[in-house]
Amino acid sequence: MKVKRWKLISFLLPCLLLFGLIYLIPMGIVFGSSFFEWKAGGIFRFIGLENYINAFLYDVRMKTAIKNTIIWVLLQCVIHVGLGTVIAFLLARRLRGWKVLRTIYMIPNVVSAAALGVIFLNVFNAKYGLLNSFITQITGEPFTKNWFFEQNSAFFTVTLTWLLYSGLIVILVLAGIMSIPEDVVEAARIDGASNMQVNLRIRLPLIRTVMGTSVILAATSKLREFELIYLTTNGGPGDKTLNLPLYLYKASMMDNNYGYANMMGVVLIIAGVIVVYCINQLFRMNEGDY
Amino acid sequence: MKTRKMLALVLAGAMTAGMAAGCSSGNSGNTGGQTNAGNEAGAETTKQAQDSSSQGSAGGSGEVVEITFPSMWVGVNTFKEWFDNRMEVFNAEYGDSIKVNIEEIAGDQNYVDKIKVLYSSDSLPDAFCTGGYNLIDTMQDKLVDLTPHIDDEWKKMGSDVTWEVNSRDGKIYGIPYARQAIGYFYNKELFAKAGIEKPAETWDEFFEQCDKLLAAGITPLSMDTADSGWVTSLMLGAMIGQTDEGEEFMNTNLPKDYNTPEFIEAAANIQRMFQNYTTSDAVGGAYENAAGNFFTEETAIIANGPWMVSDFYDTNMVEEGFADKIGTAMYPGGVMYNSGKIGFNIGSKDEKTLEATLTFVKFLTNEESQKLMLEMTGDIPAADGITSDKTAPLVNEVIENAGKASHSINDFQSLWYANVVDEISIQYPLLAQGEITPEQFAQALTDAAAKN
Repeated sequence: MKVKRWKLISFLLPCLLLFGLIYLIPMGIVFGSSFFEWKAGGIFRFIGLENYINAFLYDVRMKTAIKNTIIWVLLQCVIHVGLGTVIAFLLARRLRGWKVLRTIYMIPNVVSAAALGVIFLNVFNAKYGLLNSFITQITGEPFTKNWFFEQNSAFFTVTLTWLLYSGLIVILVLAGIMSIPEDVVEAARIDGASNMQVNLRIRLPLIRTVMGTSVILAATSKLREFELIYLTTNGGPGDKTLNLPLYLYKASMMDNNYGYANMMGVVLIIAGVIVVYCINQLFRMNEGDY
Repeated sequence: MKTRKMLALVLAGAMTAGMAAGCSSGNSGNTGGQTNAGNEAGAETTKQAQDSSSQGSAGGSGEVVEITFPSMWVGVNTFKEWFDNRMEVFNAEYGDSIKVNIEEIAGDQNYVDKIKVLYSSDSLPDAFCTGGYNLIDTMQDKLVDLTPHIDDEWKKMGSDVTWEVNSRDGKIYGIPYARQAIGYFYNKELFAKAGIEKPAETWDEFFEQCDKLLAAGITPLSMDTADSGWVTSLMLGAMIGQTDEGEEFMNTNLPKDYNTPEFIEAAANIQRMFQNYTTSDAVGGAYENAAGNFFTEETAIIANGPWMVSDFYDTNMVEEGFADKIGTAMYPGGVMYNSGKIGFNIGSKDEKTLEATLTFVKFLTNEESQKLMLEMTGDIPAADGITSDKTAPLVNEVIENAGKASHSINDFQSLWYANVVDEISIQYPLLAQGEITPEQFAQALTDAAAKN
C-alpha cells in the first residue's frame, strides 16, 4: 500500500520536532561552543581547538577521567554482561524458584541511583558499615577499612556498586534464550549434544544480537555513569574515581568553564558513536540469526 | 477506515500542539515542581495563591506581578519554619499585588547548581538566596546593581560588614539578612570527665586537651570531608586566621595562592587531627555524620554556627537535657568567624518585576523578619541591635564570643572559588591518610583556583 508523503510527514513531525528540539539543537550548541572559551562572567570568545589541545596534551585529570571511563566500560562489557549471561543461562534451566531469583536479582536495577548511593555508603562505611561489621564478626578483630575513601580500594569499591547487578542483562538474555525455537535445540539433542554443547554451540550463537544489545547497553551506561560516583566518592580521593561525565559536571558547575565542559560532551558523544559502531560490527548486529 | 485515519491525524496534530505548548516559555503560573509561596501543603498553597491572586484582580488594584524565587528552605532545613511563616505573612500583606512562585530545591549544592544552570541559560530567577555561597563574583554580569535601590532606612537593616561582603567595587549585589558568627561547641560533661576546665586559648593547649580527651576514652573531634568538609574546613580556617597574615588571608575574596606558611601549617594540623583525634567515619563523612557523633556524645567538640543550637533541644536528635551539657567557645588565638553573609541576589530583568522583587526581599530582611529568624533558627541578624528574649542562651553566648574575638575571619564558602571548595573534599581523604603532604594539599587548591 502506497502511503502519501504528506501523511508520512505529518506522522513523523512530532517525533522529528522532539528529536530536533531536545537532541539536535543542543548537540549543535555543545559541538559549536566546544571551540569557544565560554566561562561565567560573560567570557565568550572563539579559541579554535585550544580546549581539545589542553585536554589531551596538558590536562592530567582529563587523562585519568578517560582512563577510568575506558576501564569501567570494558569491565561492564566483559564482567557485567558475562555474569548476566551466565545467570540467564542458569535461570533458563527453570530450576525450582527461578522466577523468584530473577525478581530478586532485578531489585538493584529498580532502586534509584540516589538511594543506591546512600545504601552503598552505609554498607562500606568505615565505622558502622555492614561489610566491616561482618569482617569484624568473623575475625574477632576490629576492622575499620574506609573502602570508598582509601586510595587502594576506592576504585574497586565504586566498581562494586554496579558491576555485579546485571538484572537487566539477565532479563534480555533470558528473553533471547526463551525465543530460540525449541526444534533447533531438539535437533541438536538428537544429534547427541550435551547441555553444555547446546548452550555454547547452539543457544549462545543464536542470541548473538541480544548479546550485542546487552553489550551496547552496558558500555553506554558506563559512558554516562554519574550519580553513583558523585554520591559516593565525588571522584575522589584525589581523582582516583573520576570519570568523564563527572569531570564534565565539575568543569561546568565548579570551574564555570562551559566551553571546556562542552568539549568533554563532544568527546563523550564521539566515544559513544565509536563504541556503538564497534559493537555493532563485532556482533554483526545487522545480520539475521535464522 | 477513513474515520480511523482522521482520528490518527487529529491525534498526531494534538501531540504536536501539546509539544509546542510544553516547550513554550510563557509564565502560566505554577507548573511541575513550582509551588506558590508560604505554605505547608502544595495543593493548599496553590489554592491560597490563586485566591490571593483573584482577590487582587477582583479588588481592582491592578495586575498581580509574578516573581520567581527558588527556595532551599524546604524539608528539614532549619529555615523552613521561618520561611513558611514569612511567606504566610507576606501573602496576606502583598498577595493582591505580588505573587511569588517558589521552586523548592532541597540541598545547598543542588540549589547552587540549579542557579548556575539558570545563569548559563540567561534565566536567573528574580530573587535567590544561596545561604552563604558566594555567586556574586561568578554572576556579577547578570545580577542587578542594587545600589540605587537601597535607601538609608534599608541600609540600617544590615551592619557595615554585612553590606561589604555583598558589595563589589562599591556596588551592592546582595541584600544581607544574617551575619556569620561561628565558633565551636564542646561537651562540658565530657570535658569534665577528661579533667578539662575550660576551652583552650592556644592551639598547643587545644591539642593537649585533645590528648586528655583521648586518654579518657573520648574521641575529641567531629570532622568530615564530604561536600565542602564544612566542619573540618571551619577548623582549618580558624587555624589559618590566628595570625594577622592569616586573618588577612581569611578575609581575602577569591584567594588564588594557598601556598602560604599559615595555610600549610593549618593543613598539617588538620592532618594531625584526622590521624589522631577524630572518628573513623570522618574521612568520607558528611556534616550529618560529624553532627551525629557529637549528638551521641561520641565526640566532644564540633565547629559550627549558632543555627545548630536548635538541634541541641530537638529530642528527635539528642537526649533530653543535651543542650545543658553544651558550651560555646571561640577558637584558640581569639579567632571567630565574624563576618557578613551573602544575602539575597536579584536577577530581575524588567522594572516591574524588579520593583516587586525588591518589595519581597525588603520584607524578608526587615527588622521583624530578622528578629523572627534569630528566634526560630538561631541565625544572627544582619542588623546591629536586633535581640530577642526568646533566643537560646547558647546563641547569645556565640554572639558574645564574636564580640570578644581578637581575630575576625570570614568563612571559606563565602570567599573561596567554588571549585576550590569542591577540591577540598576530594583532597582531604588524601591528606588524612598521609597520601599527600600539607604542601601538596595547598598546591592542589592553588591549581584549582588557577582554573578560574
